[in-house]
Amino acid sequence: MGALLLVGTRKGLFFLRSDEARSDWELEGPLLTGWSVFHAMQDPRDGDLYVAGNNFVYGGTVQRSSDLGKTWVRSEGIGLPEETGLKLEEVWHVEPGHPSEPDTLWLGATPGALFRSGDKGETWEPVMGLVQHETREKWEPGAGGMCCHSVQIHPDDPKQMFAAISAAGSFRTDDGGETWVPVNKDVAADFMPDPFPEVGQCVHKLLLHPERPERLWQQNHCGVYRSDDRGDNWDRLEGNGLPSGFGFPLALHPRDPDVAYVIPEEGAENRVTPDGRLGVYRTNDGGASWTLLTNGLPKPAWGAVMREGFASDSRDPAGIYFGTQSGSVFVSASEGEDWQEVARQLPPILSVEVGEWS
Amino acid sequence: MVLVKLPSLVAEQAGGRREFEVDAATLGEALRALPVSDLLLDERGELRQLVNVYVDGEDARRGRGLETPLQGAREIRIIAAVAGG
Repeated sequence: MGALLLVGTRKGLFFLRSDEARSDWELEGPLLTGWSVFHAMQDPRDGDLYVAGNNFVYGGTVQRSSDLGKTWVRSEGIGLPEETGLKLEEVWHVEPGHPSEPDTLWLGATPGALFRSGDKGETWEPVMGLVQHETREKWEPGAGGMCCHSVQIHPDDPKQMFAAISAAGSFRTDDGGETWVPVNKDVAADFMPDPFPEVGQCVHKLLLHPERPERLWQQNHCGVYRSDDRGDNWDRLEGNGLPSGFGFPLALHPRDPDVAYVIPEEGAENRVTPDGRLGVYRTNDGGASWTLLTNGLPKPAWGAVMREGFASDSRDPAGIYFGTQSGSVFVSASEGEDWQEVARQLPPILSVEVGEWS
Repeated sequence: MVLVKLPSLVAEQAGGRREFEVDAATLGEALRALPVSDLLLDERGELRQLVNVYVDGEDARRGRGLETPLQGAREIRIIAAVAGG
């Protein structure tokens, strides 16, 4: 069984299919031309593909394929009720539901919106507990337009979930999405008058570790953080080998909760990889120290990787994957030690996820 | 009956059909009858900002919008506004 990379770009979806060793890769596509694929994923529960795609004229849609991209079915119109005073702007992230709820999916969107589907993405209902959260008036829309980009589900309890929204912060529910509490303590928002507010933090990506689900990681506008208590408290992980706390994507090792990967940028005012090189930073000790991994990555290079552009698989050794805004896809089948450019000159890459094909 | 002509991207989402014949009293009714109505109208049922619609060559936005009567009309043409990159 080979790896299947789903590469979402500004101009459609591409596949990269590998052999078992993840050394030979074949490019296929584009599919869904005319759509900006903000995120595409393969549902591990049944192998179906889901795409969060946007078009500047025709809006945001979710597409599902049960035949690896040969045919697609579009969700019925997705929208926010009039009482919210909000309209859907863009769809950003599709997350498979808990394995015990095989027809459930979650969809993050702008403006600061989360939707749930109970029918494999045919229809979507807004999660009003988050859309109409009592702190909403304190959320500060950033350049990302207050996108809900991260949805994480506790592997042992489908009612425990996390959602993260740019310029709004991270939120946790313990009742399946009815009610949400902000979990942003000690997470900086340096761009606000109070740099440690209850909400308003600009989370760029939030991930939960499946083997230690009380452990969360986040790449934020203002630093890289780790929480070991479901987001109640956060430690900022800087001054320890990272050239910058600013960046967008984040990836985790599938088994070792102490191992995480980031691709920092120089800073908010100069959004390219530091030191004129494309580098991945890995920690093996929970963020206490970080090591630069560059073997096979280009220099000089001034790259940028979007928040959805970084992924890891569950093989051994773990595969790590990322795509750049300049249209290259890099693969490491050795947990980051060595890298191979497996595609180049694609349209700007918005997302990378890994699945399987046979 | 009025003939609705779709732009190619929307037609792809309608199973490849570029044209639909619909029986409708108003433009809004005609658009809502299409299997791609969600791409043309937002969640309030309003015409998306960058979707232009011409009824027998007349820009519907400059007239009665979705309330445009279709009595005697022959063709509705949907065209994406010139925008983007």
